[in-house]
Amino acid sequence: MRWFGFGFNAFTQTYVQEKSGEEDSCSSEREVKVSVPVELHSHALRGRISASWSRTASLFLDQDQCVYLAGFCASISSGSSGPVTVDTSGCKDAIISETHLSLAFPDRIESWDLQSKNEAPSWRMEINTQSENSDLKLPLVPGGYISSKSPVFHSLSSHLQAKSLALGGEHAVLLTVAGAVYTWGQGSHGQLGHGGLVPEEEPRTVEALWGMSMRSVAAGGWHSICIGDGGDLYVWGWNESGQLGLPSRGLRKTSQQKTDPQEAFLTEPPSKVSTCLGEELHEEVFISIQAFPALVDVSPPCEIRTVSCGSRHTAAVTTTGCLYTWGWGEYGQLGHQTTTSLDEPQCVEFFSSQNLHVVDVVCGPWNTFTAAVKKEVH
Amino acid sequence: MTSLWLKISAALPPNEEQFPLTFSDKVPLSVVEMLKLARKQLYGNTTSASQILNAQIIVDYSWERLNMGTWRDVDKEWRRVYSYGCLFKAVALCRENPLEEEILQAIRTCDMALLMGAAIMENLLQVIVCILQTGIRKLAKEEDNSENIEAKKRRIASPHVGLIKEDLSVPRIKCPSLESFSANHLLPLKPVILEGIIDHWPAFNKHPWSIEYLRSVAGCRTVPVEVGSRYTDEDWSQTLLTVNEFIDKYILNKVGVSESGHKAVGYLAQHQLFDQIPELKEDIRIPDYCCLGEGDEDDITVNAWFGPQGTVSPLHQDPQQNFLAQVVGSKYIRLYSPEDTAKLYPHDSQLLHNTSQVEVENPDAERFPEFVKAPYQECVLQPGDVLFIPVKHWHYVRSLEVSFSVSFWWS
Repeated sequence: MRWFGFGFNAFTQTYVQEKSGEEDSCSSEREVKVSVPVELHSHALRGRISASWSRTASLFLDQDQCVYLAGFCASISSGSSGPVTVDTSGCKDAIISETHLSLAFPDRIESWDLQSKNEAPSWRMEINTQSENSDLKLPLVPGGYISSKSPVFHSLSSHLQAKSLALGGEHAVLLTVAGAVYTWGQGSHGQLGHGGLVPEEEPRTVEALWGMSMRSVAAGGWHSICIGDGGDLYVWGWNESGQLGLPSRGLRKTSQQKTDPQEAFLTEPPSKVSTCLGEELHEEVFISIQAFPALVDVSPPCEIRTVSCGSRHTAAVTTTGCLYTWGWGEYGQLGHQTTTSLDEPQCVEFFSSQNLHVVDVVCGPWNTFTAAVKKEVH
Repeated sequence: MTSLWLKISAALPPNEEQFPLTFSDKVPLSVVEMLKLARKQLYGNTTSASQILNAQIIVDYSWERLNMGTWRDVDKEWRRVYSYGCLFKAVALCRENPLEEEILQAIRTCDMALLMGAAIMENLLQVIVCILQTGIRKLAKEEDNSENIEAKKRRIASPHVGLIKEDLSVPRIKCPSLESFSANHLLPLKPVILEGIIDHWPAFNKHPWSIEYLRSVAGCRTVPVEVGSRYTDEDWSQTLLTVNEFIDKYILNKVGVSESGHKAVGYLAQHQLFDQIPELKEDIRIPDYCCLGEGDEDDITVNAWFGPQGTVSPLHQDPQQNFLAQVVGSKYIRLYSPEDTAKLYPHDSQLLHNTSQVEVENPDAERFPEFVKAPYQECVLQPGDVLFIPVKHWHYVRSLEVSFSVSFWWS
């Protein structure tokens, strides 16, 4: 499996530059914004990637199970890219935030403060080495989940039967074993999917998806996505950069004038709340906040296998090995060789042109990482 | 144009060492690193493009933080970071012989910091934006029909006679003493129109406020504009425009009709314009009667209300005393006492509990039967008038023509 990265790279976290001493004739702009996928490591590996704004953590499951940190010089790592100088052998999962690196081992969970030189993790929890917990993916841990802000551990009722958890900018999206979706946290941008803008303190079921079984969930800065059993995509939350794949007014405006797109979004009007996509209207409808789940069409029609969200963009992999991206593209995180934002899913041509079959995608806040394998020749 | 850069340089600290960059640990080290890089570049030789790129990274990241949580909760540190990002960006834009478009972009950037950020380096952004405004040619005078739109003292004959029922009209009084205002109106919380108390404002004399004058003083400045009939409507929204764009589009209706085919109403409403544009602040004065309150002069909130004919503020109440001063044009205003709140059907929600559900000039008698029984007072506020709206008094406002009012919220 080969990993590729594109998007924000101001801390050289998106790819490891070859130490060949070549003259850097590239403009600084191209370095910071990588808009075409670049291969990350010199050899194919089975692993996991997690990315924060300024760093990327790569966990290699085949090898010595080391966690490699690239990007902003972490206090606990030796250089801008290199293995974390803590004992990570046996590590089976890792996630990184701007301030913390959390590691899951068979017998314990650790959270390390990346801003200080510490010999010990800032938080730690022992776990029973029972098989029922062995397939829990971070940030889920036995009994609940962990976050990078204090308090680290949050308990979750066992009734929920959590299967996977996605933590967004200030909300959480939970998928249960039964295929139901729960959300909680801030709701001011419709990211909870309950139809309003109020926060929820406790997990609350997304009723609009009742009766449909979901197989995967993802969360971005202010948006949420889930994949239905049939491979269809449901989105809700903020659409200011087209991250929902629904028509976004801000994108049309900026194609006409050269103002910063963010200037148009000083405050979000509570009025532009859309209940569902199927409304009939005489004029083009722009959605800035989608407070209930809406179905997004990817064309040509296909089944979505996995999806991941950055701060304001979304990336989805189809069962046929294509990668689609949409949303905020200012730093090249959509991979279409431009820095334009899109409000419609678009296929990343790079992979098909290189005869690569995409199998996984993980987004950092402003960048995107994909795993791909060479296409089988039939 | 290089003289512009000289002025900007003079306003900045002389070197890197004297440029403060301290933040609490709420700001991750990676962000501080970007800020330090930007500061280094400012005093170094890097290209303008590189500096703008780095500044934009800081602006983008802090902008995301500013959009998390409610406005009140946003950590002041992130607002400071945002301001620094805007500062680095604005300065970089003006580095290498900037064109007018780049200066305008720099002004917009400073305004974003003034609107969303927190003051840094002794309000340096305010200083910078004033310098930048000197770099812009004054707009050529246009023959728009704005000659009539000027601040004049009260006309003798009011064209709106007949609109107000005499026995319901808000009483008027000319230049009352502090004592009599306090005894007859403030303490009993009775609305009144004060005449003659703002005649001395430069906005009527030395710098009569007009479309031309506003363009020359603030034309390229970015302000928040409310678009839509009223803030309780579904299609109400807020946007950012320069004062020139706002005047063209919503006051003079020069720009073509909106996408939906009908003219939208735009209102520069409830904005602390006078903090943003000190030159305009010089044209007004805080009414002496505010000294009767308990708060400091610094605690008085001064807002600008500038819009075309037909702007509507739905019936609502505010938690402070209000002096509403009319400078240009006229407004129809209706007042209801807080005693009659039950007949005014306030919204249930927390967000709108200070706003009535009733459309005052077109009430739905079926949904709101008690409304017609609620007693009220009304008036047409003319240039030179100041309406005293006691705390919690319900008020409804509709502009009868292009209008510019200034409100003073005090306690």
